[in-house]
Amino acid sequence: MPAQTDTLLRYRPWRGELHGPLWGAAAMARVSLKLMFRRRQYWGLFSLSLLVFFFFFYGQYLVVWITTRLADDAVSVGGLKVPVKDVGKFFGRLALNGTAHTFGNFIWFEGYVVVIVLALAGSVLVGNDFAHGSLPFYLSKPIGRWHYVLGKCLAIGVFVNLVTTVPAVLLWLEAGLLDDWQTYYLGNLGLLAGILAYGLVLTITLSLLVVATAVWLRRTVPLAMAWMGAFVLTRVLAGWLVDGLNYGEAWRLIDLWNDLYLVGLWCLGADPATIRPQTQPPFWAAALVVAGVCAGSLLYLRRRVQAVEIVS
Amino acid sequence: MASSLLELHSITRTFGAFTALHDVTLALPPGRIGLLGPNGAGKSTLLKILMGLIPPSSGTGRVLDQPLGGDRDSAGNWRLRRLIGFMPEADALVPGLTGIEYVGLAGELYGMPRREAQRRAHEVLSYLELEEARYRRVEEYSTGMKQRAKLAQALVHDPPVLLLDEPTSGLDPAGRDAMLRLIRNLGVDHGKSVLLSTHLLADVEAVCERVVIVAGGRVRRVGTVAELCPRRDDRYRLRVQGDAAGFRDDLESEGVRVLGETGPGEWRVTVPAGWTNLAFFKLAGVNRVVIRSLLRDDETLEELFLRTVSN
Repeated sequence: MPAQTDTLLRYRPWRGELHGPLWGAAAMARVSLKLMFRRRQYWGLFSLSLLVFFFFFYGQYLVVWITTRLADDAVSVGGLKVPVKDVGKFFGRLALNGTAHTFGNFIWFEGYVVVIVLALAGSVLVGNDFAHGSLPFYLSKPIGRWHYVLGKCLAIGVFVNLVTTVPAVLLWLEAGLLDDWQTYYLGNLGLLAGILAYGLVLTITLSLLVVATAVWLRRTVPLAMAWMGAFVLTRVLAGWLVDGLNYGEAWRLIDLWNDLYLVGLWCLGADPATIRPQTQPPFWAAALVVAGVCAGSLLYLRRRVQAVEIVS
Repeated sequence: MASSLLELHSITRTFGAFTALHDVTLALPPGRIGLLGPNGAGKSTLLKILMGLIPPSSGTGRVLDQPLGGDRDSAGNWRLRRLIGFMPEADALVPGLTGIEYVGLAGELYGMPRREAQRRAHEVLSYLELEEARYRRVEEYSTGMKQRAKLAQALVHDPPVLLLDEPTSGLDPAGRDAMLRLIRNLGVDHGKSVLLSTHLLADVEAVCERVVIVAGGRVRRVGTVAELCPRRDDRYRLRVQGDAAGFRDDLESEGVRVLGETGPGEWRVTVPAGWTNLAFFKLAGVNRVVIRSLLRDDETLEELFLRTVSN
């Protein structure tokens, strides 16, 4: 209809209230997450993280069921009769009992998925903005340069918490329901706070590190190589130096994921020696390394983001 | 609507020992303004100052009654950048987003509520004739579509001022005409003030009422195109066929001065007071030459620009 076409093609003024710059940062985070989850490989990796969650979820349930119902029975494994209490010991090594180590272990295992996803996500979320000249689009708007960083960090933080903190809280809730829930919940409120604190440490450290490395390297392949180097090679190297060459346990500090784990265990109020036989550096040293990584990332970002030209 | 678009008083901006803008004093009313200047003239620095991205080293100024430098209000909002829609020269697209998402995100970055931003994105993309392509990813757009998408993101919050950096860059002639028509319409029909930064003088002539020529960090010329390139009744461009030498001698004996030869039998001349064009034809008849063209030789914007910059 001509009248409708005319209406559509006519420029119409707009008047309304505008929100502050934090609103823009939140919009940026939402769109960044949308960009990330538009790629199938992230759904594959997210499914993998769900598998880890379900393993812990049903593992907790199984352990309770075994210990309360089948304590004196035996099950057949490959034709051999294995007492159920021995199966329970195997699960015991994973601490599937709603204690601090349950959540510490859960987040440790989820770390593999987190590191792979973030290695791939850096270029999609941040690197592309530098490589394709999108920064003038963001920075010419009424937001500051740090709002841009905040928006990107928010997107990464949401993903990290979706894979670690949220399922860990669900495991905590499940552990209470499998026990005397009032006693468990009231007696383990500190654990819940510990899970949230661990999530916060992961969110801050990983989001800053992803944004900083993505600003630096921009492309997917170098970013993936850098992340694998930082999280896989350093672990192998740390193990080789400390366990193989008997260097001091301080060398384990080069393994950032281990440092985050130690800080997390401190948040959860657990002693690392009770679950991991290898000697570990003290908590405060790990916390210093994590703080150093955050500070280094912030300083680098400050330098790079300030240097971006919007009008060239 | 503010009574003046911008007022700058002795604005100077230095970067270390280098002075990018030197004592710029400028007052412009709302309207369509072309910002012309060679590379390194200080255009970009001026744009940055106008957008509130960098403060001036000295001097004061206002854009749409908002002071320069004091850009953020008590709530931390960037007041000036809310009043400006900026279309960058660089691609500035977000790969992976569709046209509608891209423009909607721009609206939200300006602070518009999400629903409003989406609705407005549909409207603006329809207005810019991108409604068919709004669900396609922006990286798949042609150059012309990308330029219109960039204009759409600058228009989404309906700003009173549009700051356009080389908006016709990379466009074919048809696309360029369409883009210039759109910009002109926004200025003429919808009252937008347009500050068009470009090195294409034809773009300025097609769109702008006023021109600011910047060179060497100083504002060299300001005014309407008519003011800067006035009508010159004593100058002509003349092309003849036949015995040009004899004709030229006769012209000079009548007081016509040949300013230059632009080709065989082609001259730029200045005529004495009281001269009538009929005299050209009379002398041509005497010398048996044919006048192929006779045009008034007004100074073009390009000539003015080159003259200003070379000075």
